[in-house]
Amino acid sequence: MRSSQPATGPPLPLVMSSLLRADFAVLLKSRRSLLISVFLPMVILFSTNSSKAAHSFGGSLFIIGLATALGLVSNSILGYALTVSRDRDQGVFQRLRVTPAPTWTIMTSRLAMQALSNLLITVIVVIVGSQMHHVSLSAGTYALVLVVSILGGAVFLSIGQALVGLVKSADSINAAGRVLTIGLVLLSSLGQSGTLGSAWESISRWSPVGVVMTLFAAVLNLSAWDTNDSLALLACGGYIVVFGAIGIRWFQWDAR
Amino acid sequence: MSENRDPDPVRRDRKSDESFQPLAEIVTGELIAGAPPGDRLATADGARGVAELIAAAVLDRFVVGPRPAEPVHEHVSRGAPAGSGVILEVRDLSVVYGAKTAVDGISLQMNRGEIFGLLGPNGAGKTSTLSAIEGLIKPRSGAVFVDGVDIRRHPSQAKAKLGVQLQATSFQSQLTIKQIIRLYAGLYGVRLSDSEITAGLREIGLEGDATKPFKQLSGGQQQRLSLYVAVVHDPALLLLDEPTAGLDPQSRRQLWGRIEDLRQQGGSILLTTHSMEEAEAVCDRVAIIDHGTLLTCETPQDLIAKHRDDPEVRKVAHGDVTLEDVFIGLTGSEIRA
Repeated sequence: MRSSQPATGPPLPLVMSSLLRADFAVLLKSRRSLLISVFLPMVILFSTNSSKAAHSFGGSLFIIGLATALGLVSNSILGYALTVSRDRDQGVFQRLRVTPAPTWTIMTSRLAMQALSNLLITVIVVIVGSQMHHVSLSAGTYALVLVVSILGGAVFLSIGQALVGLVKSADSINAAGRVLTIGLVLLSSLGQSGTLGSAWESISRWSPVGVVMTLFAAVLNLSAWDTNDSLALLACGGYIVVFGAIGIRWFQWDAR
Repeated sequence: MSENRDPDPVRRDRKSDESFQPLAEIVTGELIAGAPPGDRLATADGARGVAELIAAAVLDRFVVGPRPAEPVHEHVSRGAPAGSGVILEVRDLSVVYGAKTAVDGISLQMNRGEIFGLLGPNGAGKTSTLSAIEGLIKPRSGAVFVDGVDIRRHPSQAKAKLGVQLQATSFQSQLTIKQIIRLYAGLYGVRLSDSEITAGLREIGLEGDATKPFKQLSGGQQQRLSLYVAVVHDPALLLLDEPTAGLDPQSRRQLWGRIEDLRQQGGSILLTTHSMEEAEAVCDRVAIIDHGTLLTCETPQDLIAKHRDDPEVRKVAHGDVTLEDVFIGLTGSEIRA
């Protein structure tokens, strides 16, 4: 029955490909979750379709950036954190951990599939957004958008990781994730529109959603890259390091 | 407590001089406990037929007789050497959760080809001991060697020698049966073709269920799949954590039949159970643990003979002394949490 029997442990490529294949299968079966993650960005794109609405949000590029960033927020914070916490509650991680697979391969596979779904959401939102807001994008711009998608996705995945690190039960993470997502959505949308005043606008601009949408807007109009965009890039790195460290430091494989 | 000592004076006197190299794991935890749902097999005859199929499949995957020595680097093995008569060595194991000591200096050896029962009341330290053996938790002190390989120093190599069936069947619910088998075979370095998977499913009576999600299987089917996955790589040692918990009588009989067959073929199995009757019937040796310490480790028959006249045992015995009487006599009658 067997084609091979390792003497000293399974080969890493086979372990990794097995995990990736399984996580990809799970991703394909989570289409509803992906649709929900795309739904909010679409609402934003449709509701700001007029030039007046677009102007109040800082222009079409900012709206596409906001929509994409919120898609990533929904997919990474709610999607990733909930999936990880449910699998942890059900003992899926413990079952995987008794195999010879190194623990880092288990999480790397998960994160890789999450990054893939983030890319998918980004492509959909950017294509729809550019059509609706009449923004013409080159192939190079699309490539940069995908790079920012990975970076922005990493920001929100690190926040999701921090969430599953600090909160144990899946139910609590579900509630906390929703509150966090709604908070980030409101902060970014209302704050960026200037409705809450200049102080909130500044806070919003440097919030995780703010810096990611700034980067999206920047790569969509690369010729206008300025210091604020560079600082947003640095802020992204800072968020990834801080939230990632929290998420890894306090993460537990077992919910008990 | 003499059973707690290594019978080999050389090994017994040899103190471990290994300083533990912490794993790259950030944190660790115990198994998630939970009884699987009950089996829904219709008839005992049907169950027996399936049992025979599974027994054949499991036997086919288990090594009959001594396994060939596998190449293990010299520095890997500080316990009994790989390929020797000792398949598992637990040395002075202590597990602590905060202020609570769950396992307090347990040492035991399990021989190749043995069925070994780890018994104890709730909270006695069985699952913590098993979790340390599986590499799921980091003990405060002590060492675990699986076929001569230190599980903390070389977790992948040691885990490759283990087959594990956790108390709760916990595969990703979105995956199909076929995907689960392919995943876990791959994690153990085994490549399976579609026809091999189909043949395997036929052997465990799940031939028509390859594309079913795991969550759609009955409790008994989940248990059969779980055991199949646990032995898909021909493990040197099979660990079963309360394998009959939550199963109906037909499914329990199937499982014990399989374990009995494995014993006949020289398979090495470490199991925990609350069923003293079953442990008495199946296990070559049993270890009774309570409050994190090893109370005794003998054959069920020797244990009964040794404690037959113990006043605490006599007090709880009704007629002939059984393993359950000895168990209650040694661990007390009070109900544990």
